[in-house]
Order: sequence, then C-alpha cells, then structure tokens
Amino acid sequence: MNINWPEKFARKGHELFLSELPIALHCHHYNLNLQKTLETSLGADGALLLYQASEESSYAGFTSFLMQHPEIKTIKSKLELASTSYQYCGLGIIKFNHIGPEGGMVVSPHSHHVTGWLAKYGRRASPGCFFSRGWIAGVLAVIYDKHIGYFLVDERECKMTVAKECVFEVTVA
Amino acid sequence: MAIDTDKIIQAVMQGSRIREEKGIIPLFGVYLSMISVQYYNKISFGFENMADNRKNAEKLLVDAGQECGYTTFYGIKNSWEWQEVVMPMIETVEDQIHCFVSIAIAFGWGDLMVHEVVPGEKLVIRANDSYEAKGYVDAYGQADAGKCYMLRGVTAGLMDLLYGGGYPESCFEYAAMETQCQAKGDPYCEFIARKAVK
Repeated sequence: MNINWPEKFARKGHELFLSELPIALHCHHYNLNLQKTLETSLGADGALLLYQASEESSYAGFTSFLMQHPEIKTIKSKLELASTSYQYCGLGIIKFNHIGPEGGMVVSPHSHHVTGWLAKYGRRASPGCFFSRGWIAGVLAVIYDKHIGYFLVDERECKMTVAKECVFEVTVA
Repeated sequence: MAIDTDKIIQAVMQGSRIREEKGIIPLFGVYLSMISVQYYNKISFGFENMADNRKNAEKLLVDAGQECGYTTFYGIKNSWEWQEVVMPMIETVEDQIHCFVSIAIAFGWGDLMVHEVVPGEKLVIRANDSYEAKGYVDAYGQADAGKCYMLRGVTAGLMDLLYGGGYPESCFEYAAMETQCQAKGDPYCEFIARKAVK
C-alpha cells in the first residue's frame, strides 16, 4: 500500500480537504476545551456526544477513503491504512495488532488528545479518550462492513491517567 | 510591508505536513490536528440541542472559541515560525490581526477578511463559507440566529490578545457578537468585538 498523503491533503480556495472531505485544522487548546466543556456541562452524555460525533465522522471519512482506493481490499491493508491516516491527521499512533470481526484490543502509545490534555489540564482521574474511542469504532465498522454503532469501544487504560499507553477494548455492541 | 497572506498559508500547509515520531503535528507553538468539520459541527450543534439552557450552551461554545483564539494565537505569536515567516511583514499592531486571519484561513476556518479595526476598541471580521454556518444549514436548514460560535469567540480572543492587559489574564476582556450569519440567509457572516461590559 502506497498512499501519497500530501496529495490527499488539498486546498481548494479557502477550504481544506482530506480525501475529498472538508476538514479543519484546530489545535489542542480548542479540541480539549470543547471536550472539557461538554464533559463539565453534560457529564456522561457529553462524553457520549464526543464519541458518537467521532464515530460518525471517521465512518464517513474512511468510507470515502476506501471508495477512492478500491485496490485496498484486504482487512490487513485496511487496518494499516486506518493507522496511517490517524497518524497523518496528527491524531497520534494507533496499533490494531489484536483485532478481528468480533472485536479485540487496540493500543495507542501516543495521541493528540492525550498530549493536549496533559499539557493543558494535567492528569485526569478517569480515562478521557472519547474521540479516539469513537474514531476506532467508526473505522472498524467500515473495515468489517458493519453499520455505525456495531462496535462498542471502551478505554481500559488511559495515558491521561498516567497509564503507560491507552488500551481500548472493542466488543460487538 | 504588505501582509502576504499566500506566504502565510503556504507556511501552514508545509508545516502541517510535518509529523514527529508520535504522530503529532507541532506547528506554531501548538499541537495541530486535521479533523472533519462534520465532527466539530456535530458536537457544537449537538451540545446546543442537548443543553437545558441553549443560551448558556451558546455562551460556552463562544467562550471555547475565544479561549481557542487567545491561547492558540498567543502560542503562534511566540513560535519560531512566526518570528521567521510572519514578523518581517509586521509594522503595526493591527498588521498582526491580518496575519492571524491569514492563519485562520490556512486552518480552513472560512474565507475571512478584516473589515475594520479601531485599535483597542473594535474589530470587525467578515466571513464567507464558515464551516459552522454551512454545517448548520446542511444539518438543520436555515437558522434564526448566528451559528458561528467558534469564529465569534476567536474574533474577541484576538482583541484580548492584542489589546488586553497581558497574557494569560486578559482573556474575556473583549466580547463579540455575530451580527450577520450565512446560516440565517445573510450574505456573509460578520463578527464585531468590543470591550466586554462587566
């Protein structure tokens, strides 16, 4: 698999696109401030909104990506593409080493949201990678040809709580 | 020296292609991400719809944008990229606003233009194709009020940064209104920041 990422990242006038879908560049201050605002205001519902928004956008984004790359056919190469797209978008490193159609484990040793949260707010008492959880659920639904909401992703260990890495458990919802 | 928007946009486009080994984009003193605008619109308008008090939700979203503008552009202003690429273009305090707006365009926030600056008193920014206005109309149809919470907050945040009492205490010294919004059917979105009434 050889994706020319800079070619996928395009400016058309004042709009930015990644693989034909409109994107925006935002920094950790905004991303984590939004997360904190939603969590503080809505509690668990706020966390769920972050998860679902991420799941829906990653589902749409990855679907579009694969449509443009029909040569990417195997599960293994799709997982590899998901991992590299996460990295290209500045979201961090994600490893799909133990995953299958019934779920499994996903590990992230580094992420934008963890680095940003720790820099901005310091250590958390509970796991806080709602964006990554939703993102994983969305891309796995595409890769295994399932609907949105098919997979449930929980975070078992989180670097925001100063764990060594973020560990996500994927199950069928 | 005139502000070279294209040069600033090019610097952002090139810089945003840099990844360190952790898969993170460090640029202009902050960590950048590339995320679908669908995500931002879903959480902003979803939050507004779920909140018991919509006015309070709107205020929190504007505040998030204002803190974003204030802290992000503070980081940007203190970065080596700013010193190297942008500083040579700057002669006045107001020039900085034009450079900030060029960076916001480069970030994909919309087609922004500084319409008026009265130093220390007032900043008017106009926007076409704000992703918030477009996203709202696509999801919900025409709005009855302005929907560009992030850009509204950012407009005030820029005034805080340039004319406030000093970082990090001066955030929220200014406040902005969205007087026109394309989500309402107006020809453009317009944000006016002035000193906040305490």
